[in-house]
Amino acid sequence: MKIEELNNAKIPIVKIDTELERFRGRELFPKKLALAKKMLANARLPKHPTEE
Amino acid sequence: MKYPRYEYQTESELHFFEFTSVGIRGNVKKIVQYSRVSIDNIYNLAFGDYDETTDQINDQIVTNNGDSRKVLATVVSTVYAFTGRYPDRWIFATGSSEVRTRLYRMGITNNLSELKKDFLVYGMKRNETFEEYSIGQDYQGFLIRRKNKDISL
Repeated sequence: MKIEELNNAKIPIVKIDTELERFRGRELFPKKLALAKKMLANARLPKHPTEE
Repeated sequence: MKYPRYEYQTESELHFFEFTSVGIRGNVKKIVQYSRVSIDNIYNLAFGDYDETTDQINDQIVTNNGDSRKVLATVVSTVYAFTGRYPDRWIFATGSSEVRTRLYRMGITNNLSELKKDFLVYGMKRNETFEEYSIGQDYQGFLIRRKNKDISL
C-alpha cells in the first residue's frame, strides 16, 4: 500500500510495536491528567441521543 | 480529517501511540497517550514531544516543525484507532494552555462536519457543563464518543 493510499484510508492501519510496552503503567502526562480530573470532577456526561 | 498524517506505532492495548514529526526543525518523536480519568469510561487524550535521552515528555513546548496540521491529523487518527478498539469510551481533551485549547477548537471546528459523521462531539463550557459542540463557542474542553460502532480497524 502506498503512503498516499494509507493517508486516505479512513480506517487507520495500526502497527503494534512491542517496544512501546515499556510505557505500560506509566503516566507520561501527569499535569494534563490532573487538569482533566479537576475539570471533570463536577461534570456530568452529556446524555447522548440514540445513535444514528 | 482528510489531511496527510504520519504513520504511527502503538502497543497492544492502544493506550500509547508514537510517531515522528518531520519538518524544518528535524525529526521530533511524538507520543499520544490515552489515560483513564477517575470517572468510568472517560479517557484523557494528551500528546507531546518525547525526549529519548531523558525518557520524558514535554507537552509545553512549541515545536514549530511546520507540520501542526499533519500532527493534529495524526492524533485524530489515533482517536479512530483507540475508539475502534474501545467504542464505548469517552475521550476528553483540553490544551495545556488557553492558546492550545483554542488551537484544538479550531481544528475541531474546521473538521466538524466530518467528525460528526463518526463521533458525538461535545464542548465543555466554562461552567463545566457539556453541550453539543457549536461553532463559535469558547469551550475549555472537548468530549467525544464514537457514533458508528461499525468502524473497525
